Amino acid sequence: MKKLFASKAEKNEFISGWLFILPTVVGLVVLNIIPLIKTIYESFFKTGAFGKGNVFIGLDNYRRLFTDEEVWQALINTFKYAIIEVPLSIIIAMFIAVLLNKKVKGRTVYRTIYFLPMVAAPAAVAMVWRWLYNNEFGLLNYIRRVVGQNPVNWISDPKIAIIFLALVGVWSVIGYNMILFLAGLQEIPKDYYEAATIDGAGNIRKFFNITLPLISPTMFFVVVTRIIAALQMFDVIYMMIDKSNPALKKTQSLVYLFYKHSFIQSEKGYGAAIVMLLLVVILLITALQMYAQKKWVHYE
Amino acid sequence: MRIKKILSMTLLVTIMLTFAACGGKNTADRTVKDNNSGSNDKLVVAIWDKNQLNGLEEIIDGFTKETGIEADIQVTPWDQYWTMLEAGATGGQLPDVFWMHSNEIAKYAEYEMLLDLTDRINSSDKIDLSKYPKDIVDLYNWNNEKQYAVPKDIDTIALWYNKTMFDEAGLAYPNEDWTWDDFKEAAKKLTKSDGSQYGYALNPGNNQDGWYNMIYSMGGAVISDDKKTSKMDDTNTIKAIEFAASFIKEGYSPNYEVLSENSVDSLFKSGKIAMVILGSWMVNDFMSNDYVKTNADVALLPKDAFTGRRISLYNGLGWAASANTKNPDNAWKLIEYLCSKEGQQKQADLGVTMSAYEGTSDNWKNLYPEVNLQAYLDMKENIVIRPYSKSTVIWENYATEKLVDVWRGIITAEEACKSIASRMNELLKQE
Repeated sequence: MKKLFASKAEKNEFISGWLFILPTVVGLVVLNIIPLIKTIYESFFKTGAFGKGNVFIGLDNYRRLFTDEEVWQALINTFKYAIIEVPLSIIIAMFIAVLLNKKVKGRTVYRTIYFLPMVAAPAAVAMVWRWLYNNEFGLLNYIRRVVGQNPVNWISDPKIAIIFLALVGVWSVIGYNMILFLAGLQEIPKDYYEAATIDGAGNIRKFFNITLPLISPTMFFVVVTRIIAALQMFDVIYMMIDKSNPALKKTQSLVYLFYKHSFIQSEKGYGAAIVMLLLVVILLITALQMYAQKKWVHYE
Repeated sequence: MRIKKILSMTLLVTIMLTFAACGGKNTADRTVKDNNSGSNDKLVVAIWDKNQLNGLEEIIDGFTKETGIEADIQVTPWDQYWTMLEAGATGGQLPDVFWMHSNEIAKYAEYEMLLDLTDRINSSDKIDLSKYPKDIVDLYNWNNEKQYAVPKDIDTIALWYNKTMFDEAGLAYPNEDWTWDDFKEAAKKLTKSDGSQYGYALNPGNNQDGWYNMIYSMGGAVISDDKKTSKMDDTNTIKAIEFAASFIKEGYSPNYEVLSENSVDSLFKSGKIAMVILGSWMVNDFMSNDYVKTNADVALLPKDAFTGRRISLYNGLGWAASANTKNPDNAWKLIEYLCSKEGQQKQADLGVTMSAYEGTSDNWKNLYPEVNLQAYLDMKENIVIRPYSKSTVIWENYATEKLVDVWRGIITAEEACKSIASRMNELLKQE
């Protein structure tokens, strides 16, 4: 009989390996995998309240999904949000990270300040920004009135509301991206820069030819995770846009629709179908990114 | 180097203490919940209006003195209340006693999440269902068999106006002869061309204290009496919606974007609006505001010139108990106390709200003698129950969202009402 383990030591290592990852695995299975399977399952039902009385209706939820204008507009809104938030936050964060990588005086203070928005609770952030944007009493319009300009409906004008929501997202996420980029920057050996200086390269040349390629693994990670997070945006919209806001239709994201159908209107089956759509979209985009990885990410 | 060490140690200790405090509070909450497995433990009571907390706590203190049973009130704001309740219901951990509302009673009754109170009511000498408004009793009655909640209160709608602004414009205050046309005339005269003051602001987010009153007084309706068809496409209903939308259209109300970002009560409190129509549940909130206290008063709602009718929509909450509470007898005792004549009288005397038990509410107005709260009591003469059905939340949300486009002037009232009626009929057919 062939032995599974070569020695007792190997067996011990195997067991302790699993013990170490057990908490994460349990958490993953209970909080992520099982709900995922349950959601896929529920998307084929017309759900009753309190988890009882589910009626199997096959693909009806999906059929409704395809003809539901609200859902497709929400998809567009979600994309708009991501297109504004991700590139802006990455570019700004990259810029700040490069600046704070040098031996500037008090740079730890600066780093803390830039990271602070991440520490604030998203709900609190949304509430404060909501007041800044308020068209009657908000600070931004107050300043505009003082300098003689007309007030702007920052978050109740359907044409522009999504832009200003995305800016709130940018503001809150810059710190996170910055920290990741800083870590990536510090991995780059100083020799490259020295060699470049000797060869007479200017700062801009150094940035594009040394920094960017060598930080591309970090950049890849940030881009992938930020896109996924942006496509899942919910709390900024939920907290800043009311049901009666004229911009609602042009700002509600897929997750917001999921929340509305599942928890406010108790149609969990339909909500599950909406979330499945989001899952497919995110999977596709991430798969594309993985493929594109070979083209632009520079691994050592 | 030493400074750094000291600083980081202080930070670490502070963080740990903060976590311990938060963690400590959580364990305390958990022990309260775990303790609910006995019969002399605190009852958990859930409500959503913090304005009623103090009064209710006082009433419950009286209950505890009488029976020795303790109860703890938890306030969860309206927006999260139902999510909280549903999560509790799904997990089998509802609060013992809690508020029930017409929007949700059907769901909770159909899935038998509530304690059936029928027999207890019948054998109780403190609760006599004929003493409460029939509409409210019926609201919480399921299939004519089971009574799932006992009426707690009623609310009515009245007109708040800014006396100072009326004086400035030289207008007589609203009186009982006012029609909707007088109302509009006044709104026009009270609107200043520089945009610093408007006559009236319609609340786009709430139907009960807004367009519903106009609909019913003009002879229209929202839903048929048998709750099988929608009346939103009735000509009088459409007429009323057009009337409501005309204020924004003709400039006597702030534009829609302002209304969507700022609640009408905050606009009234900051002196931007001369008149608002609000429910009696706002009284405590308004009267704690100095500006409103000195400048405002309350009047009856205007009547319709054509029908001569003056209508206020009304609604009433009910006290319900969880079907699998560990203390059903104690929970019932609390409900009995709160809904008994004495409990209801106390509720009105403390100014908490107008009570459902007949003849107990007159003292409610005495809490704020500066304003004419009698108007709210007088509106009780002409009331229509707030429209509901088993799927209220879905069609109400649809209607509110559809009407937004009417307030914005994008579609006509007729278009919107017809669309709402057809969606409502779809949903009502499935009930």
